[in-house]
Amino acid sequence: MAASDAHSGASIRHAFGNVLGFFILLLIGVLAFSIRLFSVIKYESVIHEFDPYFNYRVTQFLTKNGIYDFWNWFDDRTWYPLGRVIGGTVYPGLTLTAGTLWWMLNSLNIPLSVETVCVFTAPIFSAFASWATYLLTKEVKGTGAGLTAAVLLAMVNFSSSFVPSYISRSVAGSYDNEAVAIFALIFTFYLYIKTLNTGSLFYATLNSIAYFYMVCSWGGYTFIINLIPMHVLLCIVTGRYSSRLYIAYAPLVVLGTLLASLVPVVGFNAVMTSEHFASFLVFIIIHVVALVYYIKGILSPKMFKVALALVVSAGLAVCCAMVAVLIALVASSPTKGWSGRSLSLLDPTYASKYIPIIASVSEHQPPTWPSYFMDINVLAFLVPAGIIACFSPLSDASSFVVLYIVTSVYFSGVMVRLMLVLAPAACILSGIALSQAFDVFTRSIKLQLPSVSGQSNVDAGEASSGNVVPNDPVKTDKNEDTSKERTSKKSKKKEKEHVEKPVSKSQIKKRLLVLPLETSIIAIILLVLLGAFYVVHSVWAAAEAYSAPSIVLTSHSHDGLHVFDDFREAYAWLSHNTEIDDKVASWWDYGYQTTAMANRTVIVDNNTWNNTHIATVGTAMSSPEKAAWEIFHSLDVKYVLVVFGGLVGYPSDDINKFLWMVRIGGGVFPHIKEPDYLRDGQYRIDSMATPTMLNCLMYKLSYYRFVETDGKAFDRVRRTEIGKKYFKLTHFEEVFTTHHWMVRIYKLKPPKNRIRGKIKKSKSVQNKLENKLEKKRTKKEPLLV
Amino acid sequence: MVAVSTATASDDEDERVSELLSLQSRSKSGVIRLNDQSLARYITSVKPPRPYSILLFFDAAQLHDKAELRLTELRNEFSIVASSFISNNPSSGGKLFFCDMEFKESQLSFSQFGVNALPHIRLIGPNMGLKDSQPMDQGDFSRLAESMAEFVESKTKLSVGPIHRPPLFSRNQLILIAVVLLFWIPFFVKKLLAGQTLLHDPKLWLAGSVFVYFFSVSGAMHNIIRKMPMFLVDRNDPSKLVFFYQGSGMQLGAEGFAVGFLYTVVGLLLAFMTHGLVRISNVSVQRVVMIFALLVSFLAVKQVVYLDNWKTGYGIHGFWPSSWN
Repeated sequence: MAASDAHSGASIRHAFGNVLGFFILLLIGVLAFSIRLFSVIKYESVIHEFDPYFNYRVTQFLTKNGIYDFWNWFDDRTWYPLGRVIGGTVYPGLTLTAGTLWWMLNSLNIPLSVETVCVFTAPIFSAFASWATYLLTKEVKGTGAGLTAAVLLAMVNFSSSFVPSYISRSVAGSYDNEAVAIFALIFTFYLYIKTLNTGSLFYATLNSIAYFYMVCSWGGYTFIINLIPMHVLLCIVTGRYSSRLYIAYAPLVVLGTLLASLVPVVGFNAVMTSEHFASFLVFIIIHVVALVYYIKGILSPKMFKVALALVVSAGLAVCCAMVAVLIALVASSPTKGWSGRSLSLLDPTYASKYIPIIASVSEHQPPTWPSYFMDINVLAFLVPAGIIACFSPLSDASSFVVLYIVTSVYFSGVMVRLMLVLAPAACILSGIALSQAFDVFTRSIKLQLPSVSGQSNVDAGEASSGNVVPNDPVKTDKNEDTSKERTSKKSKKKEKEHVEKPVSKSQIKKRLLVLPLETSIIAIILLVLLGAFYVVHSVWAAAEAYSAPSIVLTSHSHDGLHVFDDFREAYAWLSHNTEIDDKVASWWDYGYQTTAMANRTVIVDNNTWNNTHIATVGTAMSSPEKAAWEIFHSLDVKYVLVVFGGLVGYPSDDINKFLWMVRIGGGVFPHIKEPDYLRDGQYRIDSMATPTMLNCLMYKLSYYRFVETDGKAFDRVRRTEIGKKYFKLTHFEEVFTTHHWMVRIYKLKPPKNRIRGKIKKSKSVQNKLENKLEKKRTKKEPLLV
Repeated sequence: MVAVSTATASDDEDERVSELLSLQSRSKSGVIRLNDQSLARYITSVKPPRPYSILLFFDAAQLHDKAELRLTELRNEFSIVASSFISNNPSSGGKLFFCDMEFKESQLSFSQFGVNALPHIRLIGPNMGLKDSQPMDQGDFSRLAESMAEFVESKTKLSVGPIHRPPLFSRNQLILIAVVLLFWIPFFVKKLLAGQTLLHDPKLWLAGSVFVYFFSVSGAMHNIIRKMPMFLVDRNDPSKLVFFYQGSGMQLGAEGFAVGFLYTVVGLLLAFMTHGLVRISNVSVQRVVMIFALLVSFLAVKQVVYLDNWKTGYGIHGFWPSSWN
């Protein structure tokens, strides 16, 4: 009777836990979505930054013209005169996702604009991502249903929906690949672990499809296709090979590679670049190992020893041959088959030495310790505890998570942008750490509270059944008949049991594992305070640090809020006052925005695929006016756009980016020499500036008429008066400057007539006819003034 | 008369060039060691235009232990440029010589050149005297051999060609490593199958992963890529050392490791409490250790929050209901 009472109590607890868990999931989804809406509330529903504008433009094209036209789209509005094959060079995952969302909504008669859908794609997918993180964690720690699961869920979801580094890339309006890719990444990992735990081919197939979605979405898929083989290799080396491992890995490589090569931007790269070779090598190794295990199974131990020598030597020979082929393949390509970005991960000093265009991007810089505190906040403290929790006991799944955190934390140390990949791993591990800590501390309190000491026997039994399910396999088995769990869960549990049996000793011993009451209470209070601090920090980060669209800027001063909407002002001017076919030159940062918002052709944009073209623009910007005019004229450029922050103190303007223009330009055109622009190793624009600096186009276009604003020409970004205040432009004319002077647009003057000097000399009327004739003649010649 | 004197002059010059060439071939890296006498012989006593330029590296053995001057590193880079130039341009040998001078041996020449600070590299072109020779700017050797080569190319119109850095391991070492590996693999595989290697020890993996974590969150990669020093000397007061740099874009080595340690220690203590301490049966030991661990964790978190606010200057605040104020 008592037993059945306890039983029904446990199942009520069980059901309660499930319901609670469901609501927590729901609320967390809402939370993850809504914390990312600060940018919409504070500014407006607008696409952010640079790359999202390109994605937005592609999505517009997709919804307007359909998928086939999108696939074959050749864009002549960019990289003039080269153009760009969009369909073949873009990761289509994000675009297709948002396009599908838009299409679904419209067929449900919900007439949202494409822009709205694009703005809200990232928050929606971050809710999905936090759910996927929970699934992955559950799969890793294998906690059964019930309250512990709910606690774990709350902890993980809580951290993953809040983690600032992910917020930074997924606020509403940040319509970039990472928004869906992080979800795809976590979901792929979840399915891999699920397959590893169940050994089911169904999940293995799903895993390949999730991998396909990831390949569609982001170039970061190489992280998956290297991390999973690493884990497989690790399992093999540490003697953890099993048939489940084989099922988890082999279909992924075969199906995944086939699917990946369907994506145009990847194509044959999926089998031909070094990033993928590791997976093939491990594919071979796992087959050799599988063969060894198979033979071991069918032979007697003695025979096996004989066969082993044979198989191992043969297998080694095959492996060596394959390795040799791989090395030969790799060595035959100049960059050893690696792309620059991947190489800079392996050899962190690579990019800064050889590829200025990668080194120039601020998100490729190595982070300092405050970045970690900013981006994963208190999770940074909890991760080591999570690592240790994963080692006790070490299972296939938990070793994967450890590998994941170790690689991603290393990569994030090289490039601050990869903090994004670290974020989910940090969430999982700190979630595990927190839930274990809560488990221990609450158990200590519960078992020692004086008021319940009378019932402690029953409570203790229940507590351990509710709280410590993984160490309680016998109980789970008993429950199997009555529980309504699906079969897959059951089989998973059996696996778990098999893994964790040696650790769980007995229930009675477990009950004694408690800490002193008072200190446990203090510890819980401190942990809750830590969590509260995390919430405060993350909300602050979401509201203040990461929600600026950077297309509209605001500043607070004593006389209230100032809004700087100069970018859109400038792009609107361009679209209303220039011809549809005019070409606009600017530094590559503004290429995507110009094509998307002004609908004008640009010379270079943020897809930095052609270094020479960018170097040409860099050279023009760092040349004197005449030479720059010639370069721009040869590219059919009509307008030049520069971003200037000196008046309002906007620090990321073109003068601050100028060193990269010189460096990239000089990398291709050797007559641009960086030392010519440097005084004492610094770029200076004050009276100490070099003559080359004061005469280059960028200086002139930025500071033209600047002295008229305050009479002193004081640059608020560089905090100095400029070196040369009064000068005239000979080959360019100012056509538009925005309200706060943040964007200035210049027009190339038409080619001067060579005869003009003659006209001035002979002012007589009789000569006019002659001049006209001559004009016609000279028109064909290129004019060099 | 004139013809004869030019003939002897050119003979003289040829003689000097061949002397220099033989000196160059005798030196391992192709850098010629000059002193007061030989400097006079090859530069001051030859009437300009000389048939060769000289790139002169001013060295001082007594300053080699001062790390911030990077003299030994620059000297190595200098010899790399020299040997690359010689191997790339066998035909233009005799146009440009790479030389160096030691302060102790040739103090007179140092003062003749007016060199009073190191590192210092000078190019003495065919038409230049000692005083009007061109010094290399700080920026020209900042990027080491590559930028030195650029400097030479821009000033002498001679091309240095690709820089040949010596490989990390010599060929013989590589062969040795390969042989050792080949012998070691069968033993390793045997052990691997038996499951007895270090790799099977989870403690090793645990230590390794915690270390990688510590290493990364301390921003050590930043220090390596940017070549940051462990600490700086205070500009205003040279006896003081600066360990913490204010401003979020940069960090010093010691600073990063200190905070990385704080990051890591909290998690380790928490894990110790939940995994190790619960197994101890003595309640008072548990109590004391726990109070200690909680106190340390609390202080560590507090310190990091304080340091972060100080370094970045962000004012992190909550968003409370306005009626609460």
